[in-house]
Amino acid sequence: MHESFLAYRKFLYLKLGVGLIVLSIGAYALHEPPHGPNGGTWLGYTLGTIGAGLILWLLFYGIRKRQYHSKLGQVSGWLSGHVYLGSALLVVATLHCGFKFGWNVHTLSYVLMIMVIVSGAYGIFTYVRYPTLLTDNKGGMAIDAMLSEIGDLDRQCLQIAAEMGDKAHQMILRSIERTSFGTTSWRDALGGVSKGLEDLGREIKSIAGDAEPPAPLPAAIPQIGGEATVFFVADQLAGFRDSARAALGHRLLDLITSKKALVIRVQRDIVYRKLLKSWLSLHLPLSIALLAALTVHVVTVFFYW
Amino acid sequence: MAERAYKIAVIGAGPAGLSAAARAAEVGVSHVLLEGAPHLSNTIYRYQKGKLVMAEPTVLPLRSTIDFEAGSRERVLSVWDEAAARLRVNVRHGAEVAVVGGTQGNFTVSLAGGEVVSAEFVVLATGLQGNLRKLGVPGENLPFVQYQLDDPDEYENETIVVVGAGDSAIENAVALSAHNKVIIINRRDDFDKAKEGNRTAIERAIQDSVIECLYNSAPVRAEAASDRNGKPGVLVVKTASGEVALDCDRVIARLGAMPPRKFVESCGIEFPNNDPNAVPAVSAQYESNVRGLYIIGALAGYPLIKQAMNQGYEVVEFIEGRAIEPADEPVLRDKFRAVVEIRSVSSALEVIKKNVPVLSGLTTLQLREFMLDSVIRAPKRGEILFELNDYSDTFFSIVRGGVDIHVDPNDASKHVALTKGDFFGEMSLISGRRRNATVTAGERCILIETPRRSMNKLINSVASVKRIIDDTFLRRAIQSQIAPELPAEALREVVASARIERFNAGKVLFKEGDPGDSLHLIRKGSVTVARDIGGRERVLSYVAAGNYVGEMALLTDSPRSATVRASIETETIRLDGTAFKALLSRWPDIQGKMQSKARDLLAGQSAKVQQSPEGAGDLISFLVNQGVGEATDVLLIDETLCVRCDHCEKACAETHGGTSRLDREAGPTFAFIHVPTSCRHCEHPHCMKDCPPDALRRAPNGEVIILDSCIGCGNCETNCPYGVIQMAVKEEPKPVNLLSWFLFGKGRAPGEEISGHHDAGAAKIATKCDMCKDLAGGPACVRACPTGAAIRVSPEQFLTVTRGTTLDRS
Ligand SMILES: Cc1cc2nc3c(=O)[nH]c(=O)nc-3n(C[C@H](O)[C@H](O)[C@H](O)COP(=O)(O)OP(=O)(O)OC[C@H]3O[C@@H](n4cnc5c(N)ncnc54)[C@H](O)[C@@H]3O)c2cc1C
Ligand code: HEM
Ligand code: HEM
Ligand code: SF4
Ligand code: SF4
Repeated sequence: MHESFLAYRKFLYLKLGVGLIVLSIGAYALHEPPHGPNGGTWLGYTLGTIGAGLILWLLFYGIRKRQYHSKLGQVSGWLSGHVYLGSALLVVATLHCGFKFGWNVHTLSYVLMIMVIVSGAYGIFTYVRYPTLLTDNKGGMAIDAMLSEIGDLDRQCLQIAAEMGDKAHQMILRSIERTSFGTTSWRDALGGVSKGLEDLGREIKSIAGDAEPPAPLPAAIPQIGGEATVFFVADQLAGFRDSARAALGHRLLDLITSKKALVIRVQRDIVYRKLLKSWLSLHLPLSIALLAALTVHVVTVFFYW
Repeated sequence: MAERAYKIAVIGAGPAGLSAAARAAEVGVSHVLLEGAPHLSNTIYRYQKGKLVMAEPTVLPLRSTIDFEAGSRERVLSVWDEAAARLRVNVRHGAEVAVVGGTQGNFTVSLAGGEVVSAEFVVLATGLQGNLRKLGVPGENLPFVQYQLDDPDEYENETIVVVGAGDSAIENAVALSAHNKVIIINRRDDFDKAKEGNRTAIERAIQDSVIECLYNSAPVRAEAASDRNGKPGVLVVKTASGEVALDCDRVIARLGAMPPRKFVESCGIEFPNNDPNAVPAVSAQYESNVRGLYIIGALAGYPLIKQAMNQGYEVVEFIEGRAIEPADEPVLRDKFRAVVEIRSVSSALEVIKKNVPVLSGLTTLQLREFMLDSVIRAPKRGEILFELNDYSDTFFSIVRGGVDIHVDPNDASKHVALTKGDFFGEMSLISGRRRNATVTAGERCILIETPRRSMNKLINSVASVKRIIDDTFLRRAIQSQIAPELPAEALREVVASARIERFNAGKVLFKEGDPGDSLHLIRKGSVTVARDIGGRERVLSYVAAGNYVGEMALLTDSPRSATVRASIETETIRLDGTAFKALLSRWPDIQGKMQSKARDLLAGQSAKVQQSPEGAGDLISFLVNQGVGEATDVLLIDETLCVRCDHCEKACAETHGGTSRLDREAGPTFAFIHVPTSCRHCEHPHCMKDCPPDALRRAPNGEVIILDSCIGCGNCETNCPYGVIQMAVKEEPKPVNLLSWFLFGKGRAPGEEISGHHDAGAAKIATKCDMCKDLAGGPACVRACPTGAAIRVSPEQFLTVTRGTTLDRS
């Protein structure tokens, strides 16, 4: 039914990529220029031109993937070619320069290219790994549903805590206030979640309502993923003598634990999504830098060499 | 007590009734316009504020004493109010009619208040909205009991009892609870009848004690409070634990509307059948079976304002004994112009009635309407009318000449001829599936091509049409699915034993272990085949319309080997087992063919059971539960591949006026297969059910599309069970400049949705997935997916184990 971009048309582009590599290596092996292999021989020029052409084409992928009206095939086919032919570049470019590296703009473009390719390979790694983890982590529950469930649990916690007394109430309130999901930039990466969080924050504030604002606690309590809250409640629990209060404490503990599990799931969701995207902010700028360096390289070899 | 007698009593002041009364006023006929609501035109009054009222169909000229042109709801209503006053239309508001008795010359029209009005003629124009259901207990009309809520923000700090558990009751209760104390009375113990979103909202509100709910409870009586200082009213409610009296400021009962049929029938008017969509038959003069009692407008089956107004004018002319040319005459004349020999519209209609038996049972009015919707075609010999596997769903009747049906795609010489009076195309109409053969025109033929809705309307309102089409369908389906090579006579007994059966979603056709006494040809819908494996019903396959099930038990003379269930609303042709076995024993060839097919199938199924202990079958059940069983083409996302980049949505927005018609994240997932919120292009689209201008159509490639004639009523949005239609302002977003966006972050980002800042009066129309039919290369969402995670497929491609001959390949 579904066909991964990696397997597009029965690995057509993998075959093409391997073919290109084999051809390049073959030519390189047969080719014996007077001054040793380098970019200036006819093979050097040929491989260089192929390489530069490929790079332009790889860059064009960024445009093609946004041309939604385009009739030029499927984007998944383009990505398939991007990945395999992009990787073949490694061999093509290396043979082009005949392993002649130095501290110059030529080698700079080579290094940039390697970085782009490596970052791309890492991208593939994320594309293979995180989609499955994302679905598993969600376990059929929508993020919105998780957030509203967290809200529900918070509300219930507050209710119980209120019955348990001021200190507990304050403790829980703080823990709720400090529940956060990743950094702001992570949240921004996910418009939906960050909006959900805002709503949640507002809702909880309105529930906590006009009760006096949480007074500062005698000693600052470190909040790491709600750990402290759990310890606090557990501590209290140990001290409870009468069974009704103990039961309350147990319920509270259960609620906090399930909330914590949910918070972790939401956080994971955010992290996985972020991981799926963030590498592109390396891959893309590097590829632009590569374009610049490559231009300089080509211009210099033509005009100053 | 009879008041004074009028010549004409018009009931209902909608566009139809108002137009009739206005014409009567203009020509000085004594009349009264009885309207239940305190204003004119309640249906239009209740449109959303600022809604653009459209004047479809544009080809139809308006003929009425009062004006009507497309404009805002407020503008339309004020024009009508002004005209009614100017013409001195004798309108009586708050005059809800309870029943009409008598016949021409002495009708008695009884109002709900007990008053009686008498008239010589009655024009019924009460529309289809029906009357709001009342509490049905003493005190239901007390002033603190109301049946509508226009603006929840009007009330503050009141105690309000909401009665009902449907969507409007819940929406009202939740909105009111912001500033009031709200108690909701639910007759049952859940809110399952409501939409998902409303259900969770109310359950949450109840859980948080924002709203109080009395379950399993019903009102007993409403009373005005005796205590002056307390709340103005008391609602006594019977709960599971006895009666309670609720002091309250007001009671809001949202119990839905009563379909108008009961009321209409109580006036002596007959309906052709029990189908809920049936409309009463009226003559060419709009007269019903009760002499002197006329029916016009939406109630008579004409769902648009302009039609209703024209009929209002015409009906008064008819009552006054003036023969007038119907307003649609020029439109029809134009249509018939395609056929040179036909002189006048009336003679053309006569010819059609005479030549086409399936249409001969129609009244002239019905035939006119039918012809207005239809196209007359005079194709050249050999012209292709439709091709095998086309997705079109129109119905063709042959007025003259004939056509050839090419039954075998591989052998052009094999064809069946149909001639004058026959019809074709009914298979796709009924099954909602692709065409099962190619049809070409014969010498000098004239055809009527009719869209699906008009045909369904006819089937639902004219008994003879339904009978003829069902019989023919039966005969042709049996022939093509069981034994295309046998002569028709050989099948006579089997055909005689056949009958049509209906199954709701989830109902069992037959159970594993039952004796095998019949064979089912699925003519509409689809079924799943399941076996009991380790005490659990496991789905083995999905069988679509156009195939048969149940042959195994007949061939092997053994009990049923599997349980077959309707996956959606399904209709089958049930063939009696005895007659069928007799046929098989007479024609061993057929028996052999069916047997070998059954053997393959069995082998396939048992292989399946062994190969996948869990999984495949569960996936089928999941998809069927998601309604994929009724889809023709559905978007499925493989979550192991999906990198959540949302390029599918961006592609959709970019290629469709800046509004994405798909919501990737929403929707359920099973075994990594995700069914996003996106149109499935259903076999029998629910969205088409109630579209006044018939703007929803199926295009030849199967996509369900919305034409520009959409009036933005929102019915389709409500009717689609999958929530994939949105009402949006049509707008062309600015083109994207990739370079300046990339370099300077300027302009619209590619795929960015346009935000909805529009004037309140901007016309919203329905938007949905059209499968990118105008885009070469297919659906943009699928093509834009970088990883191959998104595909669009038809359910057969992954659900069906091919069974028997399919209609597609007959
Ligand atoms: C949301 C929506 C949007 C629409 N938009 C358009 C559009 O843009 N363009 C268009 O052409 N069509 C539109 N339609 C369709 C259009 O509203 C109807 O075709 C039209 O109103 C039918 O007119 P009518 O006179 O037959 O019935 P109605 O307009 O329904 O009028 C019936 C009247 O009879 C009264 N009545 C009912 N029962 C009784 C009784 N027992 N006693 C006394 N009075 C009674 C009612 O109060 C009402 O005033 C829309 C429909 C809906 C629901
Ligand atoms: C139009 C395409 C290209 C042309 C015409 C070209 C031309 C040349 C020439 C003439 C040389 C020899 C210079 C020398 O020996 O000092 C050279 C060297 C080199 N080229 Fe290219 N090249 C091209 C594309 C590329 C590409 C795509 C890369 C890799 C990103 C690349 C990387 C190098 C490197 C690393 C050297 C070795 C520099 C050195 O010798 O110090 N070239 N190129
Ligand atoms: C020098 C070579 C390369 C260049 C110039 C290049 C350039 C680009 C560009 C411009 C994009 C578009 C980014 C965007 O607009 O979002 C892109 C995306 C991508 N590249 Fe490369 N790339 C190169 C090599 C590779 C290699 C070798 C791989 C993998 C092994 C790779 C994997 C990817 C992937 C997975 C994407 C994201 C696809 C998507 O989600 O749409 N790239 N690359
Ligand atoms: S809009 Fe809804 S009902 Fe209509 S075809 Fe699409 S999924 Fe089916
Ligand atoms: S397409 Fe939908 S909104 Fe438009 S007229 Fe038809 S039912 Fe109403």
